[in-house]
Formats: sequence, C-alpha cells, structure tokens
Amino acid sequence: MQWPSGADEARTRLVAALTAVGRGDRAALREVYDMTAAKLFGICLRICGERASAEDVLQTVYIKVWERAGQFDAARASPITWLATIARNGAIDWRRSVAGRAARDTLPEQAAFAVADGAPRADQSLVAAEEGERLHRCLEELEDHTRLCIRAAFFDGSTYAELATRENVPLGTMKSWIRRGLLRLKDCLGDG
Amino acid sequence: MDDHLTPAQERDALAAELALGLLDGQARSDALRLSLSDPAFAALVAAWEAKLAPLHGEWAHAEPGDGVWSGIERQLAERPAETATAIETRLRRWRAGALLSSAVAAALAFVLITRPVPAPTPAAPQLAVARIESDAAGPLVLARYNQSNGLMQLRIHGFEPGALAPELWVIPEGGAPVSLGQIGHAGEAEMTMPPPHRLLMTDGATLAITMEPVSKTPHPAPSGAAVASGKIITI
Repeated sequence: MQWPSGADEARTRLVAALTAVGRGDRAALREVYDMTAAKLFGICLRICGERASAEDVLQTVYIKVWERAGQFDAARASPITWLATIARNGAIDWRRSVAGRAARDTLPEQAAFAVADGAPRADQSLVAAEEGERLHRCLEELEDHTRLCIRAAFFDGSTYAELATRENVPLGTMKSWIRRGLLRLKDCLGDG
Repeated sequence: MDDHLTPAQERDALAAELALGLLDGQARSDALRLSLSDPAFAALVAAWEAKLAPLHGEWAHAEPGDGVWSGIERQLAERPAETATAIETRLRRWRAGALLSSAVAAALAFVLITRPVPAPTPAAPQLAVARIESDAAGPLVLARYNQSNGLMQLRIHGFEPGALAPELWVIPEGGAPVSLGQIGHAGEAEMTMPPPHRLLMTDGATLAITMEPVSKTPHPAPSGAAVASGKIITI
C-alpha cells in the first residue's frame, strides 16, 4: 500500500479505515493503529508521565476506538481530532484514578510549563490549519498567566488544584483566571 | 472572587472545565453525570472539545513498545462474540412495535409501580409518571417497575435500527452509571432486575439510554452522551 503524500490523502485514508473498524474489521484497526499510535502514545505519555502506564492507557484507547468507531461521523469531526480526544480523555481518566494519583506522586516534578508553552510543533498535517491559526491568535490575546494555565491543563491534564499550587495562587483565583479566559476565548473564536 | 457569570455562562464554563479536564473528585463526577443525563450539556462539552481541537496538532509523537499492539489483539480475542443482546436473550416476550420518529433528541418517560416494602396485600399498585422531554419527536421509552418483585417492563418507541443498540443505564444520585443491558429498537420488553440492581431503583435516580455497539454483555461504562433520560419517581 502506498503511503499518502498529502494531508488530505492521509485524512481520507484514516476516515476509510475508521469506517471499516466501525463495521467490525479488525485488520482496519491495525491500519488505524499504524497511522496514529505514535501520536496517541505521545498524548498518553505526556499526561500519564511514564511509559508503562501510558502503554496500558494506549491499549484501552484502541479498545475504545474499536467499540466506538461506529459512532464516528466524518461530517462532524476530523478523524485525528476524534482519536486524540479519546486518547486525551483516557489519559486524564487514568490520572484522576487512584492508581494514577499514586503513580504521579512518585514522579519527579515536571518542567511542564516550559514545554507546554513552547512554539507550536509543525505537526498540523491532519489538523485544519486555518482553525489552528485562529485558536492560537485568540490564545495570544489572553493574559500570559491565563494562557499558560489553559495550555498546561490541556497538555499536562492538570487540575485547578495542581495549577493553583504550581502558580502559588489561591484556588479561587485560579478558577477565576481560567473561567474568564475560557469565556474570552469563546468570544474571540465566535467573531472570527 | 465573584465573576458575576450568568447561569448560562456558568453552565458553559462548567462544560469547558470538563472538556479541558480541570475538574477533580466530586466536581468531576457531577459534571460527568450531567453530561450523561443531559444531551444539551453534552453538546456544550463537545463544542468545547471542538474549539480546543487545533491544539491536538502540537503533541510530540512517541513510539509505543511492541507489546502494545499484541495486548490490544489479546483483549479483542477475549471478547465474546457480539451477536444477541443481554436483555433480549433473557426476554422471551418480544414484540415489534410501531416506529415513531428518528430524531436524535429524545424523550424518555418512566412509569413506576411500587408497593410499600412489606407488601401487606396485593392491592392495586400505586402509579407514578415522570416525563422529561428535550424533543417531543424523539425516541420514547416508558418504564414500569414493580419494587415488590423486581419486574421492569419497558415500552420502546422510535429508535432507528442500525449498528448501535440502545443500552439502558441506571444512575444513582451521586453515583456512576450502571448498565442494565441493551434493549430493542422498538416494542415491549420485560426483565427481572437482579437483586443488586434493585437497590439502585430509588427515588431521584436517573434512567438513561445511550447508543452503544451491540454486545451480549452490559458495557462497564457508557461511550457517549445519553440520547434520552428521565428521573425515577416512586409513589
């Protein structure tokens, strides 16, 4: 099978594979895995913080993909967004679980903020570039500390309590920063 | 700090918090339960996931170990053949009913028959009705539950036959959803509730329906938002 050259082809091929998974085609699940495992494992690894747990979570993510592929609607969501959302939610579920908390407590402190606010990687091949540009422009309009915290929540799976501790502000202040930031973000995206 | 949010803004902010994963503990459980029982709230959460989706272009890739795929294959191989549904196999009295509409938004009404726990005489059972609608044209399920013998009777209308089957869940107040198994797309059904599940059928608990892949065994957790839900009311 020829590897697709452009983003559109990759997307088309992924949609076709996911649709086949929805019909119960296990070979198609392998195809989806081959196309997306590195990305989804990157998500699990970043949020779980260590390989063994991230690999366990990744397995459950593809089992969920197997179960839910029949619900994927290419008209409503991009395939990579659909998959990345399942992976991110799976990793956050693990972080919020008892096992996840215990494992995280033994991890060294992460230099997460530096990573979280780094320049956007150029891995936009499967994500619509135009929407990405608008979201980044709207995020740039937020105050620095608000943007940093929203990005840390997205990429590290941090809770309000963790962000408040990290930024050394009261929990109520952190909630207020982020809630106001998110509502401003919505306004900004809405008028674009 | 008081930010003077309107109730609609509060609800939208809660949806954003759930989509972003900021919540923990009870707040997270409450928000997850709301997204399961309230399709409008679930749509807000999905809208926030879509707004933030461009960030998914920024994840650093990492190669998982070779054991991951074989683990997935092993888990798939262990799964039972997915043919008949749990309740259907237990039920012998299945009749096709009239299909109504196919709208996704839904209505689910519950009729509960209950008796006082020490049922003194087989007197006429008391009846209670609760009806919650988000769209009058959507699917409709009437449930009637007799607490004295655990018999649940369902009347089901308006689900489209397809790859996904309606699965019935009971969500206790403050608890996680528990699957009661899959039900048919239309018609009438009866099931005798297993004793542990009878304890969940209390006033204020929610019955909800999600669309799930066909499975002989009840799923451990719903995979999507509820298409219909309603509170249990006992009299």
